[in-house]
Amino acid sequence: MTRLGFVLDSGSCIGCHACTVACKSEHDVPLGVNRTWLKYVETGTHPETDRLFSVMRCNHCDDAPCMTICPTSALHRADNGVVDFQDDDCIGCKACMNACPYDAIYLNPETKTAHKCNFCNHRIEDGLEPSCVVVCPTQAIRVGDLDDPDSEISRLHADGGLVRSPEQNTFPKVVYKGATASSLDPLASAISDDGLIWADTTPGHSTPTPVALSAAPTRDDGEAMARTAYTTQHPPVWGSMVSGYLVTKAIAAGVMLLAALLVLMGHGDEQSVVGIVPPLVAGFFLAATGVLLVGDLKQPKRFWFLITKGNSTSWLVKGAWVLGAFAACLAAWWVAGLADAGGALPWLAVPTVALALGTAGYTAFLFGQCEGRDLWQEPLLLPVLLAQSVMAGGAAWSLLDQFLDVPSHGSVKWAFLAGLVANAALVGMEVRGGHTRHVTMAIAEMRRGAQRKRWREFLFCTAFSLVFLGLDVLFGEVLGDWSGPVQPIVPLAALYGLFAYEDAYVRAGQSVPLS
Amino acid sequence: MTEMLSAYPPEESWDHVESLDPAAWPTKVRRSHRLVPTTCFNCEANCGLLAWVDKDTGKITKFEGNPVHPASRGRNCAKGPATINQVEDPERILHPMKRVGDRGEGLWERISWEQALDEIGDRIGTAFREDRHHEVMYHVGRMGDDSYMERVLHSWGIDGHNSHTNICSSGARVGYASWMGFDRPSADFANAEVIFLISSHLEAGHYFNPHAQRIIEGQQNGATVVCVDPRLSNTAAKADHWLSPWPGTEAFLLLAIARLLLEDDTWDAAFFERWVNWETFLREARPDLEPTFANVRQALIDHYAGYTPAEAARVCGIDQDQVREVAAVIGQGLGKFASHTWRASSAGNEGGWMVARCLQFLNVLTGSVGTEGGTNANGWNKFIPVTPIHPEPQARWNEMQWPIEYPLTHHELSILLPHFLKAGRGRIDTYFTRVYNPLWTNPDGFTWMEVLRDPELIGCHVALTPTWNESAWFADYVLPMGIASERHDVASFETHNGRWIGFRQPVARRHRELDGETFERTHEANPGEVWEEQEFWIDLSWRIDPDGSLGIRQQFESRDEPGTPLTLDEYYTMLFEGSVPGLPEAAAVEGLTPLEYMRRKGSFALPGDQQQVYEREVSEADLVGAERDADGVWRRPGTAGSHGSLDEITGHMPFIGDGSPAIDIDGQARFGFPTPSKKLEFFSETIRDWGWPEYSMPAFIKSQVHWEDLDMTAGERILVPTFRIPTLIHTRSANSQWLNEISHRHPLWLHPSDAEELGIDENGLVRITTRTGHFVIQSWRTEGIRPGVVAASHHMGRWRLEEDEARSWGAGKASIERDDDGRWRLRREQGQGPYESDEPDTGLIWWTDTGVHQNLTFPVQPDPISGMHCWLQRVTVGPAEPGDAYGDVVVDTEASHRIFEEWLAKTRPGPGPGNLRRPLWMARPVKPQASAYMYPGSD
Repeated sequence: MTRLGFVLDSGSCIGCHACTVACKSEHDVPLGVNRTWLKYVETGTHPETDRLFSVMRCNHCDDAPCMTICPTSALHRADNGVVDFQDDDCIGCKACMNACPYDAIYLNPETKTAHKCNFCNHRIEDGLEPSCVVVCPTQAIRVGDLDDPDSEISRLHADGGLVRSPEQNTFPKVVYKGATASSLDPLASAISDDGLIWADTTPGHSTPTPVALSAAPTRDDGEAMARTAYTTQHPPVWGSMVSGYLVTKAIAAGVMLLAALLVLMGHGDEQSVVGIVPPLVAGFFLAATGVLLVGDLKQPKRFWFLITKGNSTSWLVKGAWVLGAFAACLAAWWVAGLADAGGALPWLAVPTVALALGTAGYTAFLFGQCEGRDLWQEPLLLPVLLAQSVMAGGAAWSLLDQFLDVPSHGSVKWAFLAGLVANAALVGMEVRGGHTRHVTMAIAEMRRGAQRKRWREFLFCTAFSLVFLGLDVLFGEVLGDWSGPVQPIVPLAALYGLFAYEDAYVRAGQSVPLS
Repeated sequence: MTEMLSAYPPEESWDHVESLDPAAWPTKVRRSHRLVPTTCFNCEANCGLLAWVDKDTGKITKFEGNPVHPASRGRNCAKGPATINQVEDPERILHPMKRVGDRGEGLWERISWEQALDEIGDRIGTAFREDRHHEVMYHVGRMGDDSYMERVLHSWGIDGHNSHTNICSSGARVGYASWMGFDRPSADFANAEVIFLISSHLEAGHYFNPHAQRIIEGQQNGATVVCVDPRLSNTAAKADHWLSPWPGTEAFLLLAIARLLLEDDTWDAAFFERWVNWETFLREARPDLEPTFANVRQALIDHYAGYTPAEAARVCGIDQDQVREVAAVIGQGLGKFASHTWRASSAGNEGGWMVARCLQFLNVLTGSVGTEGGTNANGWNKFIPVTPIHPEPQARWNEMQWPIEYPLTHHELSILLPHFLKAGRGRIDTYFTRVYNPLWTNPDGFTWMEVLRDPELIGCHVALTPTWNESAWFADYVLPMGIASERHDVASFETHNGRWIGFRQPVARRHRELDGETFERTHEANPGEVWEEQEFWIDLSWRIDPDGSLGIRQQFESRDEPGTPLTLDEYYTMLFEGSVPGLPEAAAVEGLTPLEYMRRKGSFALPGDQQQVYEREVSEADLVGAERDADGVWRRPGTAGSHGSLDEITGHMPFIGDGSPAIDIDGQARFGFPTPSKKLEFFSETIRDWGWPEYSMPAFIKSQVHWEDLDMTAGERILVPTFRIPTLIHTRSANSQWLNEISHRHPLWLHPSDAEELGIDENGLVRITTRTGHFVIQSWRTEGIRPGVVAASHHMGRWRLEEDEARSWGAGKASIERDDDGRWRLRREQGQGPYESDEPDTGLIWWTDTGVHQNLTFPVQPDPISGMHCWLQRVTVGPAEPGDAYGDVVVDTEASHRIFEEWLAKTRPGPGPGNLRRPLWMARPVKPQASAYMYPGSD
């Protein structure tokens, strides 16, 4: 068999960018994105200054997170071990871009699909070397076969050759020679305030921010931070649509969780408020979830590929199944409600609860597949999402309570409060210390960096909701109707706080450089 | 399986290559291509390219390297594959344009080529008939071809060649030529033990890609790489030793190393004794000593007594242990010392030519001249085929390019042209600029703008250019000429231990001719009406002399079909059949004509070894008619080396050397060097006799930016305004989006300690004040530069005056006005940004910076001997002042004219011995007849 990889020899590399341009030419890569690029880092003080060059690109991992997460298997393994892609199958979900721990995948602005180095497999097929290999003046890029024990790349590998982010356990097939951690560790160097050596610096350029660095100043190897003198941009790909989707599906799931609670408390026969309204409200938010999900696709017309070409390892696909099944449950519940068949609801409650939990929680597994985003890999994400859905459900029911006569509405408030408290406590635990440098930087970015406005909104909304909901729940009997005017504001604040948190979390998770 | 992979389809398949469409992959869609070799036209290296021509569309899909090219070996830098951007450039000029408004007003009309040729030809013909030959000038930046234009200008009988060389390499050339006649080094990096670079050859330099390949190859094979540069270039970063002396002190460093080699007795005494004119040295410098070689070492040590490591450390500002260490490394690599300097300090400093002269001293001391792993002379590795139709040289000498003040300059004093025009030394009737953008590239561009706008000084400016540029904006005709894949040229360079020629050919024409079409002229196959330049000169010459009465037309007439213009097929058939040794034989082996061989392969490696050519024995037959003089030199009567009156020297003089065929070494006539002594000239009698006795031997000359003269506390610093970066090439690369995406900004490198002392904030604006004005730039604080020195690359700062014209990927919109004090002011109105065009990438431009046009603020500073513009500037560096904006440039051209006069006063004008304008033996582009060397007023 053949398992192709690259030897990238930083010892020979002169930083000329020929590979970058040859690749652009071979694949007609548009401006702003790159399949391969150069990183320059500088170390030391005059006259002991050094500048190091390393080529950055897809690692054609043996355990490729991009393939695992790709919902349509557009990213696939070629027979020669290369991670290749089928452009026609890409739905533009960008999950691969967050799954890749190497910043190797980009969204082609012209085709609106995800592209990356594919080892020039069309050339390999014809017995030709990749164009970057051919052009390199100093032969610093070399093709190797890891299944050939005598090959240079195998020997380098066996000798513990350097690879990028080995802790991700993706088994990269790009092995560096003559490189150092200053080049390869994305957190070992930063762009200085003066910018790059001969290009503009955009917010999308890969670098730890000053805030991130202040939280995690010391490199893992203890060396001084190096300076990134040249790199390229890799802006975050998930934004408000994804933050919004987290909120809408939390509401959908939470509404039904509390509806199930009411059924269990014996209110299943209340046709309107338990039988019809909850699946309608949840259905609305589930539909909104779908709209946001499809809307965030760069190829929205291909959304059905999720079903027709679904890759069962991808939590995007599994999530779609969960959402679909949940929708079916909602429909059944609603039909039961219309038919005034309250007796069926206890039976429906079991799968509904399971699917609501799945709807709320599957994103933890989806985010878990985003190997490049360590913040999202933290173990508390699943409980946080579940707590958030309870809180969102409580908030939604509290709003419904303004219009409908919700039975056991004290219990609903208690659930709302419990969700709020649990979410606050879990988030509090999550942002405490004890993380890897990557996660520490992401959290710093969330709390004090570019996401600090959203973070403060979350804190304020959570505190506001907690105080007034707490007073209402604990002392409502005593205080009487005092809280009337703020009653609708509390759940709205909680929901806005949820959005603010999700937005900060989604963006901060993508703020830490991977290259 | 990886060993099954190859870089290119096999050469025999190039006519039809089936390949998979990368955009359709993994669906297997096959496309058929023809691979046509040509030559890159970005930098001077002239690397081989293979154009992939899609057989269905006839369009070029991409450019890759040419695997059979001996220098580039199928590999390229970023600029090679970027050629496709230049072909597809949405802003390129496709039709001849003629000015309709005032010069610089930006109003143009499209005209036909017939009209352009008729009008320009008529103009030049009139000038020639009125004996105004000096008023026609061809001013070239990157020539592309080695000899074609010499033939054209000789045919026209004018001394009308002007070049870019004195903003580039005149300095190094004088340094090398004064040693060995040849004006350039040819380092065999691949086989060296020590690679010594006063340059950034791994990213720029003469022959970037071919040299980078071999420098790294040498280093991987164990060579020690030493790089001397005030700035941490990529080359410095890869070097085993980076030395960053004070700019302008490099010669001192080299002489200190030389002294250590002599002191430690780690030098090649035998080579020195055999091939250096040490007898002259002892005779002239040490008449007190017996003229025996045994005295040479001590005499040299005495001569360089002041160049101790400690003094080198003080003068150069580097650690003396580093000097000793490097000298020790060099001393261990005798015979395999491969060194290079070309621009760098040789182009930066007054006396910069001495840096090359001192570096060549190390080549000589280590016995590395022409050895394997050593440093050859370029002339023995570069091959210029003699043009088949070569008329007599001109009997004219044009003082506008070759003024009497600079008898030893290696090339034309091109930067002084506008000042000479302003000073009333002459006028120009027809001025061609060719891949040359003097207004932007040269120092003191506003003075260029003033003369380019004045029809009294320049009657007609014809810009031959593929793309808009700042100078073309001030032209009368803008005529689009082909880029790499749209023209013919033959070029050869001393890239390595070997000799080769490369053939640039118009790809579309070749492709379609192979498909059976025929073309009269290449432009019929080129995009739009883009002309093939060599055909342009043929057709223009016919217009200049339609009836042949000037004797010009005959030089451009077909030999096969008299009465019709020469075709390039005929020309190159003659050239390749008659002027390239080994090519006809190699072609015959493959059953091809020499021309077809070159069209198929794009290059040819000349057979034979070129090492130590000077040692070659000269046969008695070759000495017939020559006479041996007292110094053992065989001189031939009627040459520059042996003549009575100049009239005895007829026809073409040798390009370099005085025509003496040999020198006796140990009783054997040998080839020797093309110097007056036929030896390597440690002591240059030429330099002494032509006014500069103090510089007859390698010496250190204090420069215009010597650090001890600076007032650092008042904010004075040394500005290095010229360094290349690996992706760009002067102003020629602005029309590639891929290159400009990678690099579009050139912040001012300055050391953090300087930033603090000068009050420059983080990412702050800096005002750099020169003697004629100032510019405003952003700072880039870095440990990669010597404190006391600031630097900004020269590629950026391009501008355009109109929104919709003269655009490129690298030009910002600017305005020019004259302020109340009569100073010119360039203001940056907007940077780069996305715009809509047929090219989708223009909508994706994500950067805004286009840099600052520094060169406008530099007065001309021609070295009084080499004529090289001394690029380094003594400047005052400070934070931007109120009202300053990024990109501002303000210049007083009256001040710059005063400074021109100041530097002119530093010269020691000719004529020299024999009332000559210039030594006959030295090389000169478009070398005139010997009689033209006589300065008027002689008897």
